[in-house]
Amino acid sequence: MTDTPVIAARGLTKRFGEFEAVKGIDFQVERARCIGLLGPNGAGKTTTMRMIMGLSTVSGGELSVFGVPVQRMTRELKARIGMVSQENNLDPDITVGENLIVYGRYFGLPPAGVRDRVPELLRFMQLQEKTDATVNQLSGGMKRRLVIARALIGASELVILDEPTTGLDPQARVLIWKQLLKLKAQGKTLLLTTHYMDEAQRLCDRIIVIDHGEILDEGTPQELIDRHVKGHVIEIRKPLPTGFVDGRFDSEDVGDAILYYVQAPRDLVADLPEAAVYMHRQANLEDVFLRLTGRQLREN
Amino acid sequence: MAVIPIATPYTMAVTWRQYVVWRKLIWSSLVTNVANPLLFLFAFGFGLGRFIEDIDGMRYLVFVVPGMVAYSAMFAASFETTIGSFSRYFMQRNWDATLATPVTLSELLFGEVLWAAAKAMLSAVSVVIVGWLWGGIPSLTGALISLPIVFIASIGFACYGLVATSLARGYEFFSYFFTFWVTPMFVFSGVFFEIDRFPVVVQAIAWALPMTHLIAIIRPLSAGIPLDLGWAALHLSYTIALTIAAFVIAYRRTRRRMFD
Repeated sequence: MTDTPVIAARGLTKRFGEFEAVKGIDFQVERARCIGLLGPNGAGKTTTMRMIMGLSTVSGGELSVFGVPVQRMTRELKARIGMVSQENNLDPDITVGENLIVYGRYFGLPPAGVRDRVPELLRFMQLQEKTDATVNQLSGGMKRRLVIARALIGASELVILDEPTTGLDPQARVLIWKQLLKLKAQGKTLLLTTHYMDEAQRLCDRIIVIDHGEILDEGTPQELIDRHVKGHVIEIRKPLPTGFVDGRFDSEDVGDAILYYVQAPRDLVADLPEAAVYMHRQANLEDVFLRLTGRQLREN
Repeated sequence: MAVIPIATPYTMAVTWRQYVVWRKLIWSSLVTNVANPLLFLFAFGFGLGRFIEDIDGMRYLVFVVPGMVAYSAMFAASFETTIGSFSRYFMQRNWDATLATPVTLSELLFGEVLWAAAKAMLSAVSVVIVGWLWGGIPSLTGALISLPIVFIASIGFACYGLVATSLARGYEFFSYFFTFWVTPMFVFSGVFFEIDRFPVVVQAIAWALPMTHLIAIIRPLSAGIPLDLGWAALHLSYTIALTIAAFVIAYRRTRRRMFD
């Protein structure tokens, strides 16, 4: 049983009328791993997560969670998944503690039992001082932390996090990262989307890059960097220095400059005229992301 | 996923959540659900009651109190599953959060309905108490017997509201619901005068409206005059059939809207 992946998708498809939001993707999420689902807005990440939660019907292909097709997901299985959705869909009028107690009942937990767990959950997200504050009084970061605490109430084995740290200050992000790694160490499985590449690099064992409903590539952060952007980026502003022949390097024109992706920066730098101005840095996941999904803005 | 709702612990968890929130906002809620119908009752009881001697063989106050019981329940339940449910669904994204747990959609919707019916009962009971103290209820026993029927009808009123919510794209939509559904019941269902004073076409419309059937059962009960049980059974069957149809429509539409 331990070999069964927590999530397995084969040819997973989602159509909204004519529009195909997810176009037959295959992927797996193994137990006690953190898998990142990265892609621009509208890539199909949230739709995929909603299908896993049973909040969106599957239009085609197969999708199993804990080895059971989502169409036949039982209450018991659903209780083993925690969801941190993109919006802070908390109950604004009641207190932090009451939010957890109310939510716990949705998992079939008696209020007394949940009440005992509230301090532990709030301490985990450093919200213990806010137990009796109403949600309306919390800052954005506190609300986010409360949504995460709430997702853990059902003793979830799988936690799905849709942009858990968007809009948060660095302190809150660092705390959330630390606690998510703790969850993984406890054996929980995490599926995460984020627009922060440093976050993905830090948390994820494996990354799936998705765009227009299709998987573009997947691998560990390092594998993706090696495969797509070598190890180093050298950026030369246009116009290129005269006498520089760039044909033998892997390059990308980004408009006002050209990026060269190289394993050994010395090879390229040696070819440059003495007076040339360039910028050299380590390649990172952001380079991979932009290279794979393009540089166009995705506002609709 | 079963459509037919049963009051499972999960349904009750949803209803309980509404109660926890309601406790925080109790005063504004009491104004809408208790003070509002009582104002109507006083206005019509004193105002019209002075001009109208007898209606349908009973004092005007005796006539209008059960009408106000029905209206207050109808209004409270309708308001709760339209403006209230829509806010939870659309503005607070509360339904998304709930459905990410073991609670199913039919349990969520039925939890909303049960709570709306509970609020309707709060309104109805307040009107019964005030109406009785004022001398508008000759048969208190009859009025008490009518309360479970008001509850059943209120489950229906809540379901009709949910149908509107399942169709609404914004709050503007509910102006249609209140203008073409709630207000017609207020004026045509026999709250203030007998519907046989209307032209036949209007009477037909009135009998299509579920509140007309509720009033037809509870008015004789609280007035203490004999109730034709055959007719009462017919009125109740119509109410229940309409309720089930509304719940199924609301369920299907919401399901398509949220899950497809």
